[in-house]
Amino acid sequence: MATKLFAAIDVGSYELNLKIVEFGPNGMREVDAVRYRLDLGTDTFSTGKVSIEKVDELCRIIGEFAKIMKSYHVTEYRAYGTSAIRETKNTHILIDQIEQRTGIRIDVISNSEQRFLDYKSVASKGDDFDKTIGKGTAIIDIGGGSIQISLFDNDKLDVTQNMKLGVLRLRERLNNLAAKPSRHGALLDEMIGAQLSVFDKLYLKNRKIENLIIVDDYISPITLKRTMDSDTPGFINAERFEAFFERLKVMNAVEFSRKYSVALENISLVFVSAQIIRSVIALTGAKTIWCPGVSLCEGIAYEYGESKKLLVSPHDFEEDIVACARNIGKRYMSDDKRSQTLESICMTIFDAMKKRHGLTERDRLLLRISTILHDCGKYISLYNLATCSYDIIMSTEIIGLSHAEREIVANVVKFNHRFFDYDATVSGVEHLGEEAYMKIAKLTAILRVANGLDKSQKQKFGCIKATLKDDVLTITVRTNKDITYERGMFEMRADFFEEVFCVRPQIKHINKL
Amino acid sequence: MGKADFSNPEYYYNRELSWILFDKRVLSEANDKTIPLLERIKFLSITASNLDEFFMIRVASLKDMDNAGYKKPDIAGYNPRQQLKLLNVATHDLVKEQYDVYDTLVEQLREKGIDIYKDDSRLTKKQAVFADRFFEDYVYPVLTPMAVDSSRPFPLIRNKSLNIGAIVRKKEDATQDYEFATVQVPSVLPRIVEIPNEGTEGKAYILLEKIIERNIDKLFLNYDILSMCEFRVMRNADLAIDEEEAADLLKEIEKQVKKRQWGEAIRLEINEGADSRLVNILKSELKVKREERYSIAGPLDLTFLMKMYDIKGYDELKEKEYTPQPVPALIDCTDIFEAIRKEDILMHHPYESFEPVVGFVKTASTDPDVLAIKQTLYRVSGNSPIVAALAEAAENGKQVTVLVELKARFDEENNIVWARKLEQAGCHVIYGLVGLKTHSKITLVVRKEEDGIRRYVHLGTGNYNDSTAKRYTDVGLFTCKEAIGEDATAVFNMLSGYSEPAGWNKLSLAPLWLKDRFIYLIGRERDNALAGHQAHIIAKMNSLCDPDVIEALYEASSAGVKIELIVRGICCLRVGIPGVSENITVRSIVGNFLEHSRIFYFENNKKPEYYCGSADWMPRNLERRVEILFPVEQDNLKERLKSILMTELNDTKKAHNLQSDGTYKKMSRARKSISSQQIFCEEAFSVASKAIEGTDKNDVMQTRRFIPE
Repeated sequence: MATKLFAAIDVGSYELNLKIVEFGPNGMREVDAVRYRLDLGTDTFSTGKVSIEKVDELCRIIGEFAKIMKSYHVTEYRAYGTSAIRETKNTHILIDQIEQRTGIRIDVISNSEQRFLDYKSVASKGDDFDKTIGKGTAIIDIGGGSIQISLFDNDKLDVTQNMKLGVLRLRERLNNLAAKPSRHGALLDEMIGAQLSVFDKLYLKNRKIENLIIVDDYISPITLKRTMDSDTPGFINAERFEAFFERLKVMNAVEFSRKYSVALENISLVFVSAQIIRSVIALTGAKTIWCPGVSLCEGIAYEYGESKKLLVSPHDFEEDIVACARNIGKRYMSDDKRSQTLESICMTIFDAMKKRHGLTERDRLLLRISTILHDCGKYISLYNLATCSYDIIMSTEIIGLSHAEREIVANVVKFNHRFFDYDATVSGVEHLGEEAYMKIAKLTAILRVANGLDKSQKQKFGCIKATLKDDVLTITVRTNKDITYERGMFEMRADFFEEVFCVRPQIKHINKL
Repeated sequence: MGKADFSNPEYYYNRELSWILFDKRVLSEANDKTIPLLERIKFLSITASNLDEFFMIRVASLKDMDNAGYKKPDIAGYNPRQQLKLLNVATHDLVKEQYDVYDTLVEQLREKGIDIYKDDSRLTKKQAVFADRFFEDYVYPVLTPMAVDSSRPFPLIRNKSLNIGAIVRKKEDATQDYEFATVQVPSVLPRIVEIPNEGTEGKAYILLEKIIERNIDKLFLNYDILSMCEFRVMRNADLAIDEEEAADLLKEIEKQVKKRQWGEAIRLEINEGADSRLVNILKSELKVKREERYSIAGPLDLTFLMKMYDIKGYDELKEKEYTPQPVPALIDCTDIFEAIRKEDILMHHPYESFEPVVGFVKTASTDPDVLAIKQTLYRVSGNSPIVAALAEAAENGKQVTVLVELKARFDEENNIVWARKLEQAGCHVIYGLVGLKTHSKITLVVRKEEDGIRRYVHLGTGNYNDSTAKRYTDVGLFTCKEAIGEDATAVFNMLSGYSEPAGWNKLSLAPLWLKDRFIYLIGRERDNALAGHQAHIIAKMNSLCDPDVIEALYEASSAGVKIELIVRGICCLRVGIPGVSENITVRSIVGNFLEHSRIFYFENNKKPEYYCGSADWMPRNLERRVEILFPVEQDNLKERLKSILMTELNDTKKAHNLQSDGTYKKMSRARKSISSQQIFCEEAFSVASKAIEGTDKNDVMQTRRFIPE
């Protein structure tokens, strides 16, 4: 297999990263990596815009990145901007500036996409990752503004939750409180504990967590350095972490900086990060901590490698997204069995219509999620199901989905329960673009037909088959139960399906008797 | 019994005084009758240029501190003023020794047919005519005599320039007061002039200043020359650059280099017996104190002796020139990258040729698979083939990054020239990190091969200077190990202004944590000794004066670690202190080749580790410079380093052993005479010859050559 070079760029809140990665027979290998400290977050979070000086410097560094890429003859890259770029008022202007001046196009990703890529960056560690998530594991991804805790069960992602407990944010809060330094530890404990206790009640419950995986910029480098010569670099036990934390509390900043090779100005952030981790250890009872020392760039590269089939991931990330969606559904008292039936029907129709619908594998995933969350709004209101479902989905982060994708799912679910708004302006999807509008229409059509087939919610069909011939989609159902109601509901939805696909769906009932 | 206080100043030797001892060791080579005469002349010349630099930088620095009222004592407990006082005595003593040796050597040269005239008194008529014609044709046109009077102030005397001062009086009026006049001996002309030697087979020489003095009346036509003498001024030459404020470092250094000529006068050399009026004028105008005046009983500025070494026809008075041998692993090598992929390659210069390093860069510059070449340049040779190769590489479309250290002292102008040339060729030239000198010696070549990107790295202890590589001992390593390649990439990224990577694999960097690493390695031996395990350190370097490292060595020694140090120059550690340094020995090797390599061995309880690097154990290396320490892990190469260290520890001919009283002593004559440098030459020749056997016999003629006696 010939090798291929790829560049991943991460424009973060306080650091710019470039990694040149080589894909070869042995998987993914880092060939070059540069980091540059540039605080964009302070500008964005305080004034809402990145200052002109910072823009100039940002363009200069991205330009240097482009030169490095050129020196390696790299032609393919992905460049992502995260919260500082995402939350600035003039995002589009900024991105355009960068592209005009450097030739590099920055795509802005949502927090959920970013965390999913961070998660993939951990997965890029291969055996260590597979070994670790085999047991009850939590990943704690610590950023400047927020943290993301993801729980695994039987090596599948089960729950993921974002909390506004990022290191910069907490440090800012501490500074605003103007408390004595000796009180900082206790105050942090309170701030962190308040949100973690909610997380505990909602998600942890009696879950057994043995391993904690840390993704951060402060504790990970220290841990890696200190364990470099050990048999398991990056791994330490909870006792050792506790001992480190105690040393951190008593050592003066200069001493700590020297001993652990940490810049003096970052010591406070090291402390906050350590406190967060310590709190999570106390909450979960985790015994082992793993700091794989990864960054968003690894995740970007890993995802690229997967998409181009340059590497085969033993882990099914799509199932993680689905698992998270199921968990969200569970939270809103969705009927598991119903969702599964609906999902099965939708997938059958989707697969049968492959030659006609022009949708992608990704769209198939969106349809799956739509089926899982199709009636989450019932938790709020049986009457206002469409709006409530839409609002719930739009208010929830679904890890791995971009904001645009989430909005597609929300609209599909909404239109499943009410008439489709042909006017994009009225339906509020104009900003998503024509392609997204069509996706919503097509996925809605499939979901509505499938919904019609199980309108009684009694899961009357054991299995269904769908075949497309000429302009007719024949859905064969085998059951000995009365399907008069389903047939009626199906017919009402078939019109929209035919309108969208120019294919008439029809039921073929085979009575087992 | 309480724990010894290893920071006690009594346990340390003053750095500057230690340096004087080093220069004395070099002078001892000039005094060694077993060494060919012209080699001894060369050594004497080296002591003179060494001393000049010492004054311009070290003594000047102490003076600055004293002038500023700085009183903090050094590790040996002396404040700057006390050091200046002690140095004053030591340097006068050294200078006297230098000229004693000079007198001896001049006499011996005369016996061998090389006659250096002390003055013009011995000139025959024919010789006098020659000298005077030489003066008229070549010297007179470039002289600028200057008189000092009420309308013409005392001129600025350039740093290190040789001058003739005279007391003159107008011819027409004997009652008039005398005046001072001066003329610089032109440095554009040869200092030593060969004059016809009648009737003998030998050669005769006279110094340029003597020719000028003989004809000085021609410079001051209307004056009587009442007296004259030669004098020379040494000035503070350390650059004062505020890098933070310097908008353009390159321009700032160019500016400061020019200013070097006019720093504060810190030393005045003047002929012994010079007219007191002359002495007083110079003393007053140059503002030098009594102790800063040196009365010289001989020609000033003995660096001219280096030119004597190049005299033709006296090969019997020189060592046979040694030609560096081919590197065995690269004999018959058609593809250096292939050779490095096969195994790591260690080179020991100058015993083994530096050509492969030059060849590595040259090959990379034209190899179509090479994507990038990155290198640090500290001191390069004139017309450096490496610089030319880098420029060619950039022209061939490769990404070339060169870190040129502009602040390589006394090489600043040289480096500015090369920096500009490289920039014009399209190289990305970086001028290092603010406040830090980049002293590391590293080259990285990134190559796209069939199975992916591979990084080839050269790490060394010596500069990328093919000229000094023939005169200095150094070691270098070629490797393409992934762990080192990754670290090398990170080094250049950091030097380019990016952040430090999250972790390092094999390389240790100063000023990041190299010092901590050394202290950790020494501490590990100490802990092993305390635990009853074998504990041994052998360290070879140019200088040892970092107090933290010395303290760590004392601790280790007191715990029972055997410590053998090979320190060429300054050594602030004292040996033989009971309970402190009984287990430490220090030796200094001064020979034909300048010992320059840095090799470190740590026993590590029967799992020995070997390191080489660019850093000495000095604060400036460990805290204020970018330096690299690299491990040598391949078994056969570890054996080689072991052999190098053991051979140097067994040297009885060129090694000076540090005594507990701070003096150095050579081995007694009774022992077998072993010169480590000679052994390395013989070994390199033998190994290369064996490696060549079986190859094309015609190639043997390329390999060589002479072995020193």
